[in-house]
Amino acid sequence: MDLSFLTVQVLSALRQAAFLFLISSGLTLVFGVLNILNFAHGALYMLGAYFIYWLTLYLVGPGGFLLALLAAPLGVALIAAVLEMGLLRRIYIQEEIYQLLLTYALVLIIDDLAKIVFGPEFKSVPKPDFVSGSVTLFGGTVPVYTLLVVVLAPAVAALLWYLLYKTKTGKVVRATSSDREMADALGINMSALFTLVFAFGAILAGLGGALAGPVRTVFPGVGTEVIIECFVVVVIGGLGNLWGALIGSILIGALETIGIIVFPEFEMALIYLLMVAVLVVRPWGLFGRPLKIKALSEKNLEMEAQEISPVHFSVHPAVRWAPLLLLLLVPLVAGRFYQYLLTQIFVASLMAIAFNLLLGMTGLLSFGQAAFFGVGAYAVGLLVTKAGFGTLPALLLSPAVAAAAAAVIGFFCVRLSGVHFAMLTLAFGQLIYAVVFKWYGFTGGDNGIQGIPVKPIAVAGLAGIDIGSTKEMYYFVLVVVGLSVEILRRIRSSPFGATLKSIRENGQRASYLGVNVKLYQWTAFVVAGAFTGLAGGLYALMEKSISPEIIHWTKSAEPVLMTIIGGIYTFVGPAVGAVVYIILNSYLVAWTEKWALVLGLVLLTLVLLLPGGVVGFVNEKARQIFGKLRCIRRWSFSKSTTS
Amino acid sequence: MPLLDLNSINTFYGRSHILFDVSLSVEKGEVVSLIGRNGAGKSTTFRSIIGLTPPQSGEARFKGELLRGLRAYQICRRGIGFVPEDRRCFPDLTVRENLEVAERREKEVAHPWTVERIYALFPRLQEREKNLGSQLSGGEQQMLTIARTLMTNPEVLLLDEPSEGLAPLVVALLADLIGEIRKEGVTVLLAEQNLHFCAKVSDRGYVIDKGSVKYEGTMADLLSNEEVKEKYLAV
Repeated sequence: MDLSFLTVQVLSALRQAAFLFLISSGLTLVFGVLNILNFAHGALYMLGAYFIYWLTLYLVGPGGFLLALLAAPLGVALIAAVLEMGLLRRIYIQEEIYQLLLTYALVLIIDDLAKIVFGPEFKSVPKPDFVSGSVTLFGGTVPVYTLLVVVLAPAVAALLWYLLYKTKTGKVVRATSSDREMADALGINMSALFTLVFAFGAILAGLGGALAGPVRTVFPGVGTEVIIECFVVVVIGGLGNLWGALIGSILIGALETIGIIVFPEFEMALIYLLMVAVLVVRPWGLFGRPLKIKALSEKNLEMEAQEISPVHFSVHPAVRWAPLLLLLLVPLVAGRFYQYLLTQIFVASLMAIAFNLLLGMTGLLSFGQAAFFGVGAYAVGLLVTKAGFGTLPALLLSPAVAAAAAAVIGFFCVRLSGVHFAMLTLAFGQLIYAVVFKWYGFTGGDNGIQGIPVKPIAVAGLAGIDIGSTKEMYYFVLVVVGLSVEILRRIRSSPFGATLKSIRENGQRASYLGVNVKLYQWTAFVVAGAFTGLAGGLYALMEKSISPEIIHWTKSAEPVLMTIIGGIYTFVGPAVGAVVYIILNSYLVAWTEKWALVLGLVLLTLVLLLPGGVVGFVNEKARQIFGKLRCIRRWSFSKSTTS
Repeated sequence: MPLLDLNSINTFYGRSHILFDVSLSVEKGEVVSLIGRNGAGKSTTFRSIIGLTPPQSGEARFKGELLRGLRAYQICRRGIGFVPEDRRCFPDLTVRENLEVAERREKEVAHPWTVERIYALFPRLQEREKNLGSQLSGGEQQMLTIARTLMTNPEVLLLDEPSEGLAPLVVALLADLIGEIRKEGVTVLLAEQNLHFCAKVSDRGYVIDKGSVKYEGTMADLLSNEEVKEKYLAV
């Protein structure tokens, strides 16, 4: 290895680290003060890149470029300030998940708006002449622009240090990040400070984007890739810690550069592997500290007033089974399109209800459920195509394989809580995605597995039952999902389910009562993983082809969205959410390309106006009506334990 | 006109009713005690005044002006300083930085508190100037939170259980400090469980129990009232 090669590689690693630091420092700063993990930070990066693209169409020459480099981040900051004041501010007292979802809704909306304004194609910003050349350093050729980026990032780091440690506002920001309420009582205007910090974080994202404009391409959705890398950086460094972001950026920058040279196949997987390795040793990241428990109990007090308490209307079993009977009759009247649509809904419902065992019941936000869905789907795909398994044995193994994966992943994840838990599940999910995506020899890589044969089912020596057609598949999926949902319902109303709820309400108190909280969380994680895997297995049979896309993290967002749409504290809520989501998806895609925009707006409306979801809203209304008739109310409550 | 005046306020945490028609008033220059057991409603009274848990009914007035609808930071800027019971120094900031972040310049004050004036009153804090909030002893933390609130130039100081968990020597020092603060022209409303500490530093007192005021009078009267002491203050 000669010096010139080394120089080029080191600078390439530093350039990557510089971009990562610029973007993730803003992310971690916002998290440190506002306690919000901003999914839209990547979208703000994208806006920075688009703005410089647009600005340099008009501003030419070196002066023009530099002016654009300044103006683009400021434009992004302005948009961020409006978003903070108009939307985010309304939900600071809500639970973390609503804040995450709101920023996720913003991702969907901003991405689609960018598509409308700037077009769907890739854009690149021409490098201005004065930085387009290259210089020779130790025999290696290095672009001047790389040097610019590599010098600018430490300058920004130094500026950040100065602002945070040497100015009054910086000190106030640090004070606020450790005790918000106390800062409030000392006369610090929290609202103004939050807007300021959010906008400042946006400046850093926008600067990263603007600086990346001339060397990376920009397109709608580029943010979803960038944000995941930044999540990895800040989680490795420790959420909310600026120095952590710096070290994390350098580690990831170096690892990516080494990865490209040494393991080009699994470069993507390497960074998730590093993240998992760091979190196994230091669950809160290199420089992180456990999140305060205090914040939670205080929040609970505030939350109680507007609590969305579940109302239990006990339903006669006949009423409960009636929808199932109706569904059995559907194929008699509805055509293949509707049968297929409903089959999709069944699979999605199973995934969402299984997911809600974690979120609604145990209070764990998993952002990696697509991994188990994918593991189940690939288990069926590989067992059928490569090992010649029959349909039923393969399908029955899919939850087992997914449960095994969940057992291992869950072991590491349940040591964390809150946002950290969500991030670690996300990282594991992406790790599996990265491996499946590249492992051509086994999983087919990005081609996936096409043409999975659905063999007739042989039951106990009887003649095979064919499930190849849409109608037969409809009935098959209906039966499997129906049975699974019934099992999940029984789990929910069992003592085990009650214990999970107690953990959600207050894990600390549950542990005082002798509950092994981690063990229960782990068990819930494995059970949810198993049923998610089964849903994946059904998906593989139904679609007859699978691709790594079903494991990507954006797929993990789907059960979260469905659950929030339907209602988090009810059993059927996630299924209702699945109905809404799948129908919106199918019809909107046919009707408009801007499906993500509409979904984003729906999500935004729900988070702001109906935090209890559709079913929660209906329950609340029902309670208002029935509440007046006290006898009915007493009747419904007295039966609540059995529902 | 009293400096601080509560007129039958009712405060809730979610659906639980905590304060029931609490009324009290503090005149300028006084040191007044609010005495009660754990969970009697002392901290909630303070949180209601400063606006962290605003009352749902009743009136809280400061210098005759209603505080209703104001956020905590606005109430602080009007001149009410809150020292919470669990101290809550900013752990990642140095002692000096803890003081600096609280410095307020919004309103004209004849004789504003500065870090130097604070150091004159609390020499110990100057010695530990460069230490982080998390590196202080309990007594030092208590002094720092009081000093930090003084930096906001309050006209009335809400002191929540300052003697809790401190060694007797430090408590005695604290009593002297409250006297000093009073001499500097700051009115004090003191929440305490420790009756003798109150007797040492204050003139008047209110006894609070189960969220409502049960007794009010001078400290001398209270000390001799065995019935009230037995009923509301004995552990």
